[in-house]
Amino acid sequence: MKFSCEKEVLLKEILTAQEIISSRNALSILSNVYLEADNDKLKIKATDLKVSFEVEIPVDVQISGRTTIFCDKFLGILRSLPEGEIVFELSEENVFFIRPVFKKIDFQLRTMSPDKYPEIQKVSEDRFFKLPQKDFIDMISKTIFAVSTDETRYFMTGPYLERVDKSLVMVATDGRRLSLAKKELPGEIEGLKGVIIPTKILNIVKKLSSGEGELEIAITEKSIFIRLGELNFSSSLIEGQFPNYQRVIPKDNKYMIVIKKSVLEDALKRVSVLAEQKSRKVLFFLKENSLIVASEENEVGQAKEELECEYSGPETVLAVNYIYVLEPLREMGSEDISIEFTEETKAITLKPIPEEDYLHIVMPMQVT
Amino acid sequence: MEQIDNPSLKGKPVIVGALPGRRGVVSACSYEARKFGIKSAMPISQAYRLCPEGIYLPVRMSRYIEVSQRVMEILKSFSPVFQRISVDEAFIDATGTERLFGSPESLARKIKKRVREETKLTVSIGIAPNRYLAKLASDFSKPDGLYIIRPGEEEAFIDKVELKDLWGVGKKTLAKLKELNITSTKKLRSFPKEMLASVIGKSAADYLYMAVRGIDPGIHPPQTRSHSISSEVTFQTDRKDLPGIKRVLLELSEELMYRLLKEKKHSRTIVLKLRYSDFTTVTIQKSLKHPVSSSDELFQIAGELLKKKWKGNREIRLIGLGLANVTEREDAEQKDLFEDSMNRKRKVEETIALIKEKISDVEITKASLLKRKTRHHHYKDQY
Repeated sequence: MKFSCEKEVLLKEILTAQEIISSRNALSILSNVYLEADNDKLKIKATDLKVSFEVEIPVDVQISGRTTIFCDKFLGILRSLPEGEIVFELSEENVFFIRPVFKKIDFQLRTMSPDKYPEIQKVSEDRFFKLPQKDFIDMISKTIFAVSTDETRYFMTGPYLERVDKSLVMVATDGRRLSLAKKELPGEIEGLKGVIIPTKILNIVKKLSSGEGELEIAITEKSIFIRLGELNFSSSLIEGQFPNYQRVIPKDNKYMIVIKKSVLEDALKRVSVLAEQKSRKVLFFLKENSLIVASEENEVGQAKEELECEYSGPETVLAVNYIYVLEPLREMGSEDISIEFTEETKAITLKPIPEEDYLHIVMPMQVT
Repeated sequence: MEQIDNPSLKGKPVIVGALPGRRGVVSACSYEARKFGIKSAMPISQAYRLCPEGIYLPVRMSRYIEVSQRVMEILKSFSPVFQRISVDEAFIDATGTERLFGSPESLARKIKKRVREETKLTVSIGIAPNRYLAKLASDFSKPDGLYIIRPGEEEAFIDKVELKDLWGVGKKTLAKLKELNITSTKKLRSFPKEMLASVIGKSAADYLYMAVRGIDPGIHPPQTRSHSISSEVTFQTDRKDLPGIKRVLLELSEELMYRLLKEKKHSRTIVLKLRYSDFTTVTIQKSLKHPVSSSDELFQIAGELLKKKWKGNREIRLIGLGLANVTEREDAEQKDLFEDSMNRKRKVEETIALIKEKISDVEITKASLLKRKTRHHHYKDQY
């Protein structure tokens, strides 16, 4: 195998490959990136057995062939090399040479047989549907922070994606708060049943997406495939039953607070300085057109801030984890937001104003 | 405690712990039993030799904890500055309560009266200018005592305390002091600090130097932020049958979880202790990412640990299960959106704990633990 290309062309893809690879053990084939040169194209593959990545880039192939090399060091080498064209060559003895053109630099990497490389699963072309990149990335951003990190609640460790009528809905919850984002589908999708998607593939897609154009998604019984231009990602799905989220979304809340988002955000950040850092509890004291955000008095002291808002319900106190309020606020683009509730002990709903297919549910804390 | 629940035991030597003829130790004994020379932690066989006519009863830990909590609640109602130091000892700072409760003596009488009315228990109270002396004073007049050390009487009081009863003096320190011919608190006071330090070490010397002068040396068992709870069983005969051992683990899991829930605490660390027939003792522990949620989960993990450590070929003499790093439930206030199965189990157990608290003699347990024969445990508590 022998091929050459510009450093920058390859570096980008190897960075992505390394992000997929979770093994750091130089002796494991899973720490390696798969390279296959043929027909003026270089195929690159990486996998951690759950999440896989595959891409083809145009290179100048002199001799076809394939191999696998330790991705971590390959990336290190590429990063260290100066700009310009590099020649890559696999010797008869299966040593991989990396030599920049016009430079007297010589790197050699040991290789492992490509035959041992795990098979990356494929899906038939007709399973893919298209979605604006912007929409999908937006749904990820608005929900992914709410997933559970508790491995015993593995079925909550990824967002749930399902079709509801003509929309795609992404929901994430850790059992105490829930984030739901909805986007209308541009076309018809057949038989998309609800799936739980691991965060790793979503985070990578989010990171690499330009936000322009479309991406393609295919979902099978056990896997999800996402195509972002030339980049192909796949991931096994999280098996298990996602909780019945519809049931916990309050309908017809009795009371509503309307407040400037930035005003509430700033106040929460200030008051949180003195909130108890384990429970992160802050109190919302409500009376007509006034919201006092306060920390509980503790051995350090107390913080309080009174905010103007629209509210006409009874005087009451709500207690919440401030992170559960700050995180969704960050994802709301509107100037005003609404906080809706019925009782101090029941779920609280946060929404942007005007509503834009996004809502966040927070279970309150005990007031005393 | 047993004398209260069963008045016919009053005035008799009652020994709580293992039953005679079996293995185990004395967990507690009545003042009448102490007259026979019986002490806590003494092997039960030795206790039986000293007092064959004693009444030997098994340990009822959950009942003791329940009563302890009631007494602590009473104490808390007398002063907001409250510090519990063990299952049956606590400090309150009564400074500034004179208007409410009168003189120190009348305060103490009020506490004793309420404890007696509500729990039938007698308590010993020591009142002193600082916590160290208060503790010594309460020990000084056991049982059912009341002793007041007034400002200015500190050293005079210390002179009455035997060296071995000084709080913080262990057997080793005592032996070392004896080498210097220090046999009383008064003598101890006459020694310069540096000289003591050369024999018992600097920190112990600092401590005792203050203690014998009636100054609080300031070492109190810390306000319990984290502790562990554990329980163990010594088998009648060493055993290696897995089903039987697992059953005991299930009992221990239930008991520990009940105690944990009752204290409204949680723990992520599970410790299993095994003592083989040759007395070699091993422990293995596992920390979870989340707090133990139910006795089922605790039992399952205990089973895993047992499988890891014990290959089924050695005979087990004692098995113990513990929860380490027991802390306040930080999420206790946060409500849940869903009723998932883990929450459900926890709620069921919380409810059972609540019922047991209200109706103390009700027996609610797993079906597989019903119809059990008299057990025979000894318990270890660490606070």
